[in-house]
Amino acid sequence: MRKAMSSNQLRHIICVALMMSTSVLATMAQEQQTQPLMPGETPKPTKYVAVEEQKEHLVFFQGFTLSVDGYGPVAMMVSDYGTLEGALRLNLKNTFFPIIEAGVGKCSKEDFNTKVSYKASAPFGRIGIDFNMLKDKFQNNRLYLGARYGISIFQYDVAGPAQKDPIWGGSKPFSMKSIDCTSHWAELVFGVEVQIVKNFHMGWAVRYKREISSTKSDYAKPNCIPGYGYTTNATCWGGTYSLIFDLNWGMKKSHKRGVNVEIRDLPAQTQDDSPLTIENESEHTDNENGTEEQEE
Amino acid sequence: MKLKKIIGYIIGVAALLLVGCYSNNCPLENTVTCNYGFYDAEGTSIYYVDTITVTTLMPGYKTVYTYRKLGNKTVTKDTRDTALVNLGYTETASQQRKDTILLNQLMGATNMKVPMSYFHEEDTLILSYKMILRKDTIKIRHSSYANVELPECGTYRFHTLQNISSTDAAIDHIEISNSKVNYDGNINVKIYFNGVVTE
Repeated sequence: MRKAMSSNQLRHIICVALMMSTSVLATMAQEQQTQPLMPGETPKPTKYVAVEEQKEHLVFFQGFTLSVDGYGPVAMMVSDYGTLEGALRLNLKNTFFPIIEAGVGKCSKEDFNTKVSYKASAPFGRIGIDFNMLKDKFQNNRLYLGARYGISIFQYDVAGPAQKDPIWGGSKPFSMKSIDCTSHWAELVFGVEVQIVKNFHMGWAVRYKREISSTKSDYAKPNCIPGYGYTTNATCWGGTYSLIFDLNWGMKKSHKRGVNVEIRDLPAQTQDDSPLTIENESEHTDNENGTEEQEE
Repeated sequence: MKLKKIIGYIIGVAALLLVGCYSNNCPLENTVTCNYGFYDAEGTSIYYVDTITVTTLMPGYKTVYTYRKLGNKTVTKDTRDTALVNLGYTETASQQRKDTILLNQLMGATNMKVPMSYFHEEDTLILSYKMILRKDTIKIRHSSYANVELPECGTYRFHTLQNISSTDAAIDHIEISNSKVNYDGNINVKIYFNGVVTE
């Protein structure tokens, strides 16, 4: 019991440390964008682009992203349960992100007091969608809410000390191998991701999981489901720390459509406060990031 | 800046939730027993007023010493008593099946919970009453299997009842109502005693 609790606590500490590292990276990225001015230097005009106008210009298909989880392998090394998993995600208008996740989960634990051990190692899959909650869909940082449906078809082994009859006497060894199980579960995902360099993002997500159903066995309940986690309670929490790579396959150019883009300079710089309006901006290609090109 | 603040709050809340999610959900009952419900001959649940003692037969035999003397009560003992022999009692030694008491002097109950053997196919229960001289014998055939709820809870032994029969000293008839014996606490066997409860 003590061992199980300490490994759980260690896992939580690592999770929190990973989360904090993401927020530090996000802060550094923001600081790089707002460098202080040198003496005598005049501030460059900052362009303000109205978001409502930009929405019209977002291309529907924004490409794929491939991500790998960094938290699962660390958890596998330091605790009883961990995963190796990756995900392929579709970016639609920087707003909706249909996603397929797949991986391998491994549980191996022995209770300190009862000496009962549980082992399972199997692939799992999840399918779902994320929604970018930030109002500005052009920026590369995202705050998202999502949902997943997960499934794992696996076998597990349970073993322990011999069972002894306290009244009639006698004992028999206790070991059950390859108990078949199929588990289904649902997840709510809340996460953050930030762009570190071009085409590379990092982010963490917290997952609230609920078991929908599992095959019932007369002998033993599945204590840990690959891809889900421990079934000690009806629900459980999980997390991922994702390294996300943008894949620009099949990305289409933006529509050849005129857009009203309102650009305003900083009040300090402008002689005339009236906003400059550019009508019918000519062919604007939008490879992966409409914002950068417009700002340039 | 606003985003940074939001992220800070989220990290805090997530850390609190993750730390607080470990708990132990082991079953409250740590022994698995077969639950016998008491009913009258027509199936009404009753408080059985007589005192019931349940013993069971164990594997192996034991030597029982019986002491008799004219005009005195017969004395039965598991060990030799030379003092009684000196008092003029006649000693008789005999081999009997070993037994043990599973439930001692249960009174005014609606049900009784009796453990089952882990590795035997048939259990024999002997019910002794205070108001009735005769005893009842219940024979239960069952299969047993190991069960693990959670590794931290240890192992249990569940049973599946297959067949049950009884004698008729105080029992009218007996039946299996729920063949799965586990720690749920449901009535597994219904014992219908002689007689009917009248208002």
